[in-house]
Amino acid sequence: MFKKKAFVLSSALFLGLAGCSTAEEDSGSSNDSGGGSGDKTVVDVFQFKVEFKEQFEELATQYEAENPDVDIKVETVGGGNDYASALKAKFSSGDEPAIFNIGGPTAVAEYRDRLTDLSDTEAAGAALEGTLETVTEGEEVLGLPFNQEGYGFVYNKTVFEEAGVDPESIKSIEDLTKAAETIDSKKEELGLDGVFAMAAKEKWTEGNHGSNAFTAADFNNSALDAYNSKELPFTKADQFKTYIDLQNKYSVQPVVSLDYSQQVEELFSTGRVAMIQQGNWVYPTIEQMDPELAENVGIMPIPVDGEMKMPVGVPQYWTVNAKAGEEEQEAAKAFLDWLYTSDAGKEAVLTQFKFIPAYDGYDTEKISDPLSKTIYEYAQAGNTTGWTFLGYPTGWGDVLGANLQKYLAGEASWDEAIQASKDEWAKLAQ
Amino acid sequence: MKNKDLSFWLFLAPVLFALGTVVLIPLLYGIYYSFTNWNGVSYTEFVGLDHYVTLFKDEGFRNALWFTVKFSVASVIVINILGLALAMLVTSKIKSRNILRTVFFMPNLIGGLILGFIWQFIFTKVFDSIGRATGIEWMQGWLSDSATGFWGMVILMSWQMAGYIMVIYIAYLENVPGDLLEAAEIDGANPWQKFRNITFPLVMPAFTVSMFLTLSGAFKIYDQNLSLTNGGPYNSTKMVAMDIVDTAFKFNMMANAQAKAVIFFIIVAIISLTQVYINKKREVEM
Repeated sequence: MFKKKAFVLSSALFLGLAGCSTAEEDSGSSNDSGGGSGDKTVVDVFQFKVEFKEQFEELATQYEAENPDVDIKVETVGGGNDYASALKAKFSSGDEPAIFNIGGPTAVAEYRDRLTDLSDTEAAGAALEGTLETVTEGEEVLGLPFNQEGYGFVYNKTVFEEAGVDPESIKSIEDLTKAAETIDSKKEELGLDGVFAMAAKEKWTEGNHGSNAFTAADFNNSALDAYNSKELPFTKADQFKTYIDLQNKYSVQPVVSLDYSQQVEELFSTGRVAMIQQGNWVYPTIEQMDPELAENVGIMPIPVDGEMKMPVGVPQYWTVNAKAGEEEQEAAKAFLDWLYTSDAGKEAVLTQFKFIPAYDGYDTEKISDPLSKTIYEYAQAGNTTGWTFLGYPTGWGDVLGANLQKYLAGEASWDEAIQASKDEWAKLAQ
Repeated sequence: MKNKDLSFWLFLAPVLFALGTVVLIPLLYGIYYSFTNWNGVSYTEFVGLDHYVTLFKDEGFRNALWFTVKFSVASVIVINILGLALAMLVTSKIKSRNILRTVFFMPNLIGGLILGFIWQFIFTKVFDSIGRATGIEWMQGWLSDSATGFWGMVILMSWQMAGYIMVIYIAYLENVPGDLLEAAEIDGANPWQKFRNITFPLVMPAFTVSMFLTLSGAFKIYDQNLSLTNGGPYNSTKMVAMDIVDTAFKFNMMANAQAKAVIFFIIVAIISLTQVYINKKREVEM
């Protein structure tokens, strides 16, 4: 009797399990047919920019309304490492998106066989000079730029004014040092904790961005050259040291445990420091924290060789999967074209996404925030350096960041830190 | 039940299926990949033991391993002392003992990531302000050098785990026969002698359980590490689990990371199996 019961019970359990799996299959297939109902072309978009997820989805809906035969499905996974690994997982599971994002030359090499030539799109023709460099192979254009971004020292105009320092007059690292000294001497009156807030805990701030200003010349401002280079000359390492030391000397301490949110939110947005090394992406945060302060921020480049050139680059590219169906590829291209070249798209790019456009034909008066505006002006004047750090060997920015932390904590000399980073470059670039 | 009939296997099937798909098969795949040049999507070559050889030359990995060992030893000691002390406290006759049990256990219910951020705030803000206000130097600048990073991790881990270990000790403490303690008292033993000669030997089995639980727990820690120090400064507080994740997803060396993970698996397996072995032995003795 007992045995029989046990048998019935266990079979029920087992069948239940089997039932679960078939039920899943059912819902899966109905889903598929639901998506493919009618003759709609489904375009799966897998993108990384969390900041504009909602605006982007709205825009996709708007596009669907104009083009009823296309179904744009947007999926967003947060930036940095998470996106790269999620994308990898998507590809290895066979669930490949039609449109996805890639960063620098490393990603181009990795996904080369999945990248379609986009040179026939209107957007590729409108892309600003230089923005397509890392994604161009011969005649083929493999990606379309998202936007442009730039960084330097974001500063608080009010503090500079009260301290009697004219930010326009800063033309070299010596000028910057003098300015820092002046502000430092009036720290008490200005209510500052420090002149800088150096976020050395975030390895990318100095490891990628900071260093880029001083390595760009080694690689002719080209991320591609950096990517192909088997070693790092680092001819401007001395200037880099001056620049790191300057920030460290006048920064809120301890720098090695100071993170991004402390730097931007807690210290800069509350007016407790005069300047931070960051880019235009911090603007929305500052605006959220203190709209009044946000009206009075400016940005200046990191001085190198007595020159003020803004590092401007394209952080991410849109790409179309070459393994997707013919129809999907066409629909994907049409969507990207619409996004960057139609009037509705342009409007959204400027006012909704708040991007610095990487394309011709935009009404730049509509760029709303002062940081982006300044960066765009530098870009138009051609007064820029490239984002060569996108061509650093994978993970090398972190290596340099960690070695700089070691130097800042007094655990290594400058030469040791730089030599260790160079050695690691040679190893990683093999 | 010795006779394994059909219903035995049918009962077992769901668990076997789940275990197989999420543990066993990935494990075997993982070991296999560690011998190839797998890049996360595909592999082209079989490289044998190459990854294991480079792994032992990898200073970052060795440092992470050494740091993890140091951290585990320190946490095991601190957690067990704290856990036992808390258990003694809440099994004594103080009034608020039921409330206290809940309170001490509570940190265990909070996720590691959140705990890390909470303690980061305490170390870098609260400690710092107290240090500044009172002029105590050692309370300033926490998490900005490797020593405070290390102790920060130990404190966080102990705070989280002590309550859990307390529960195990409580179970054993409540089984200490009252007549033994009473007899000792009549013989004139002082509280320390009572603890040293009666209570302590009787809760020793709990120590074995707790030690291995905390040891393997401390070894596998990742989220607390990520949110509290993120390996910094200069990767000096990076633990093995984090080193593996970084190798895989920051440096994109999937097969290499896989080899590290296999080594890591072996270490944790040895710890766990030793625990099982010792526990079994004890059970027979009793």
